[in-house]
Amino acid sequence: MSEPATLVTMELMGKEYRVPSGLTILAAIEYAGYKLVRGVGCRGGFCGACPTLYRREGSHRIFTALACQTLVEDGMCLVQMPFVPVPTKPYDLHGITPQPTTLLRFFPEIAGCVACNTCTRACPQGLPVMDYIQAALRGDIERVAMLSFDCIACGICSSRCPADIKHYAVGLLARRIYGKYLVPPSEDLAVRVSAIEAGRYDAELRKLMELPLADLRARYEQRNFETVAEQHRDHSATQRYNSPMDPVDYQDELEGV
Amino acid sequence: MELIDGYPASMRESIALVERTRPARLGRTFPAMSLEERKALLLGHHPDYQAGAKRPLRFGPSKGLLLNHELADLFEARPLVRPNLDLSTIDADVDLLVIGGGGAGTVAAIWAVQSGLDPARVLIATKLRHGDSNSTMAQGGIQAADRPEDSPVQHFLDVMGGGHFTNRPDLVRALVSDAPLIIQWHERLGVMYDKDSQGRFVENPGGGTSRNRMHSARDYTGLEIMRVLRDEARNLGIRVIEFSPAIELLGDESGRVAGAVLLNLETRRYYIVRAAATVLTTGGLGRVHIQRFPTTNHYGATGDGLVLAYRAGAELVDLDAVQYHPTGAAFPAQMAGLLITEKVRGLGAQPLNRLGEQFVFPLEPRDVEAAAFIRECGERGLGIPTPHGICGVWLDAPMVDLIHGPGTIRAALPAMYRMYTRFGIDMTRDPILVFPTLHYQNGGVAADEHGATRVPGLFVAGEVMGGIHGKNRLMGNSLLDFNVFGRRAGIAAAHYARAHRPGRLSLAHVAEYERMLREAGVETTRTAPRILPDYRGKEALERYLDVPV
Amino acid sequence: MQLAYYPGCTIKVSAREHERAALAILRELGIALREMPEWNCCGVVHTLTGENLIRQMAPLRVLARLRQQGEREAVTLCDMCFNTLARANHLARTQPDQVSALNATSGGGLDYDGAGEVLHLLHLLRDRVGLAAIRKRVRRPLRDLVVYPYYGCKLLRPTGIGLDDPEMPTLLRDLMESLGATVVEGSLQTQCCGAYLAVDRAGLVTERVGATVEQARDAGAGAIVLSCPLCHFNFATLQPHAGAPLPVLYYTQAIGLAFGLDPAELGLDDRQMEALGRAVPSQALHDLAHARGGSA
Ligand SMILES: Cc1cc2nc3c(=O)[nH]c(=O)nc-3n(C[C@H](O)[C@H](O)[C@H](O)COP(=O)(O)OP(=O)(O)OC[C@H]3O[C@@H](n4cnc5c(N)ncnc54)[C@H](O)[C@@H]3O)c2cc1C
Ligand code: SF4
Ligand code: SF4
Ligand code: FES
Repeated sequence: MSEPATLVTMELMGKEYRVPSGLTILAAIEYAGYKLVRGVGCRGGFCGACPTLYRREGSHRIFTALACQTLVEDGMCLVQMPFVPVPTKPYDLHGITPQPTTLLRFFPEIAGCVACNTCTRACPQGLPVMDYIQAALRGDIERVAMLSFDCIACGICSSRCPADIKHYAVGLLARRIYGKYLVPPSEDLAVRVSAIEAGRYDAELRKLMELPLADLRARYEQRNFETVAEQHRDHSATQRYNSPMDPVDYQDELEGV
Repeated sequence: MELIDGYPASMRESIALVERTRPARLGRTFPAMSLEERKALLLGHHPDYQAGAKRPLRFGPSKGLLLNHELADLFEARPLVRPNLDLSTIDADVDLLVIGGGGAGTVAAIWAVQSGLDPARVLIATKLRHGDSNSTMAQGGIQAADRPEDSPVQHFLDVMGGGHFTNRPDLVRALVSDAPLIIQWHERLGVMYDKDSQGRFVENPGGGTSRNRMHSARDYTGLEIMRVLRDEARNLGIRVIEFSPAIELLGDESGRVAGAVLLNLETRRYYIVRAAATVLTTGGLGRVHIQRFPTTNHYGATGDGLVLAYRAGAELVDLDAVQYHPTGAAFPAQMAGLLITEKVRGLGAQPLNRLGEQFVFPLEPRDVEAAAFIRECGERGLGIPTPHGICGVWLDAPMVDLIHGPGTIRAALPAMYRMYTRFGIDMTRDPILVFPTLHYQNGGVAADEHGATRVPGLFVAGEVMGGIHGKNRLMGNSLLDFNVFGRRAGIAAAHYARAHRPGRLSLAHVAEYERMLREAGVETTRTAPRILPDYRGKEALERYLDVPV
Repeated sequence: MQLAYYPGCTIKVSAREHERAALAILRELGIALREMPEWNCCGVVHTLTGENLIRQMAPLRVLARLRQQGEREAVTLCDMCFNTLARANHLARTQPDQVSALNATSGGGLDYDGAGEVLHLLHLLRDRVGLAAIRKRVRRPLRDLVVYPYYGCKLLRPTGIGLDDPEMPTLLRDLMESLGATVVEGSLQTQCCGAYLAVDRAGLVTERVGATVEQARDAGAGAIVLSCPLCHFNFATLQPHAGAPLPVLYYTQAIGLAFGLDPAELGLDDRQMEALGRAVPSQALHDLAHARGGSA
């Protein structure tokens, strides 16, 4: 360590530990001597495995956070929630006809939402959770899909909800219905899939596979590059980003070594 | 520690220098290196070329393969179970065992059921929660040649060249030909890809690709795919057992793989699974911290599958090349190692040293760029030290808005912007600190285009499988590969399972492995698989460092 | 005129036709409704439960949001929403301390001073537009249509919040008469239809609905006109099965018909129009009923 960090005191499941400031809650727990099995996953704010409840000095509130995304603070009194059970009855997405009452039918408990907003306040992703539950209640599937998209299924909202709603499961079903039924399928894709199934590219691919290395390399070097998509035109530098020099043609080094 | 807008005073001094040199740097970019210079830099500073960083594998089917010490250590380690373990009580007897509940594993299980296996006789065993995996972390996108101006042939060329033509062509053919089928399957599962109102995909460029074919779901592409797959598997009634990593494969008397020994991480009990077929999808190895690098990978990415498969007799390919991404976050500590997308440099942000000087062309190839950062922090001593003891170089993010106009960062890099904002740093006003980070495994267990290894009954898919990307993977091809080969392996394993019944369970291959260890003169108390990294005590700090605390 | 609009869930899920008819007739009257950009359920389910403060969270949040969105007034079509919101508004005005307490324990966001106003669409039509203006816009008077206006309870109670005299309301009668319809009345007009008891005591609702329908029929009515989506649901689905059911119309639909709008635009399908035509052997209505089919 180049310079000793100041130490803070945290209370983890009733025991006090002195840990360096500037660590995430996750790293602080490990620093304190725990080898985590539960309560950790991606360590990068994507998987929702590390929901944490804590209180701070000078406030009566319970705060919620992702342990991997939040700094430890002096006087924090915390516990990890390894798991928030959100079992759902199996459904067959492929047999659903989306209707305003679809979400309500699968999750009747959303009608019990008292609009207390606790879920929104607790969500570590900062999502308008109450609003997507309310949108679900009134059958606005698209809105649920949009508002809930960044959900990482940490379950914090469900652990705090007085109406015992399974928020992330509601969001997930809405998104799948939206993706499958409410967005049109891509026509280009369908055309390409039939071409592949008809074996349209087989011969050419086989030819490439049989090409001597030098010829294949020549084909590679002669590739023409698509001009950058319309919407990126004003970002001249993205053009570079899509250029042949980045990031891989370092065959020279590889061969030389 | 006192922070001023997110940075400590010590780092603020350097930021002042960055600000001072900024006007003069606008429009003046450090020149790109000549091939000679690149070679010298790589040889001198890239982790892959460090003398003494690697050693050859001393035994087994891939004897002689050059491996980083940390990786070689995994193979030169004692098994966790004794060969004489009592296998008479079988805890689960299934048709298909899938080891690893990430992307590849979940896809394999779903397709095995689609191919006719009874979901109640398919078991996914995974180390953490179902879905806690590298798959969930992928942001950028997934490649598939589905636009009229693109084709699987073009995709094939890009993949081969990207891998320096070391890829296995039949695997690449499978990858590019199945890609559109996979995207269509996802469409039907309700994956919410970014689309316009006509249903056309928004497709972006990616490093090393000659066409725009990166499909994405905002900045959460992997998360979106993974949660849909998990939901589908659940709805199909596929059994999942969490917090139960496989610690050894099981064989039978005819030399087939016939299941695995799982370890319940909470009760510390073994759980014996007998299976007619086994698919290994344990993902990558970032948490092995090769050469002490931080990593972008999830907590369970410890390369277990490589060890398990090798002990069972499978072959390894291309494991000599691991992928370092030049720009992992170096500050603040809670972001250390996390991926900073290449796009930041693509949009004009220059890498700078402590004095606010440019020292490398911003868009050198990934390995060259990484080596230059390492040289600046190491030999030249011009890195910016952090309070947590690591060094990094600046990426002058505010230049993006200066070049392209205010608001560009928020529009083009929303996830980055959000992530830094969370930790009190405004990247539209201040530079961000980066250092190379361990990103991807490249090689892995050798298999054919149906994921079948040379050991009967053992299939692989996903990051643990090698040969698809050769020595270097392009962005967007591994989300694709876990789907393509997960599906193929699932189907092939289902067929295999219907045709074969496992015999008497055996750990003879483990005894054999121990014999090879002895014969090669390996004496160690190390054990493998590693299962989880240990970050207790000072390791909690040390893992951010490239020198021991 | 432009006004903020609070639809409520029922309107969106099961009373779309009421909304369509309302928007259509308002367009004719030169009034535009702008749906609140973000809103939540009015909380009616909870306000029907026992006395506690939590139940006021949802309606107060709607009102607080209305103010945050820079509006003073919001229009609603739903009697339940209107009643719930208006009662919460009353609470905010008479017992601001309770609202502060709720706000304090729920992390802010419920900061509301009672300065908002909830308007029922009937308020708007009666007090702002005026029956005279409506009468002037009528193109096809509902001559020969004998209607039985049904108020239910939420529109009229409690006093101070209700729109009209809770025992002797005239609002719907006046409105219908200005459309040229004949109005018959009876003692059950203001009786509760059974509301949410439809969920677990459907028999009771059927009994009440049956009695009301019988009273209407005896008085010679050819249709029931009402306002509340819940009443509509109960009358439309829980009428006892003897003979053809009596058609049930939202007043917005009746106005629309009188304005000469396309029944489809009012959310009335051919089946409903036919039933209406059968109930009323009047040429005018018959024409109306077939206006769409004929022109198509
Ligand atoms: C930060 C980041 C960003 C990325 N971005 C992209 C991108 O934009 N595009 C792209 O194409 N690729 C990207 N990748 C790469 C890609 O996400 C992965 O290579 C791919 O998802 C791997 O899938 P997998 O199923 O093989 O492995 P994983 O998804 O990692 O799944 C492996 C699973 O196996 C489990 N496991 C491990 N060991 C055992 C054991 N012994 N027993 C039982 N279970 C075990 C793990 O816990 C895990 O659940 C990115 C990777 C990272 C880390
Ligand atoms: S916490 Fe539950 S009851 Fe409260 S607003 Fe959220 S979903 Fe509704
Ligand atoms: S919506 Fe709920 S489950 Fe999803 S991220 Fe927010 S708190 Fe977690
Ligand atoms: S460990 Fe995945 S979100 Fe924190």
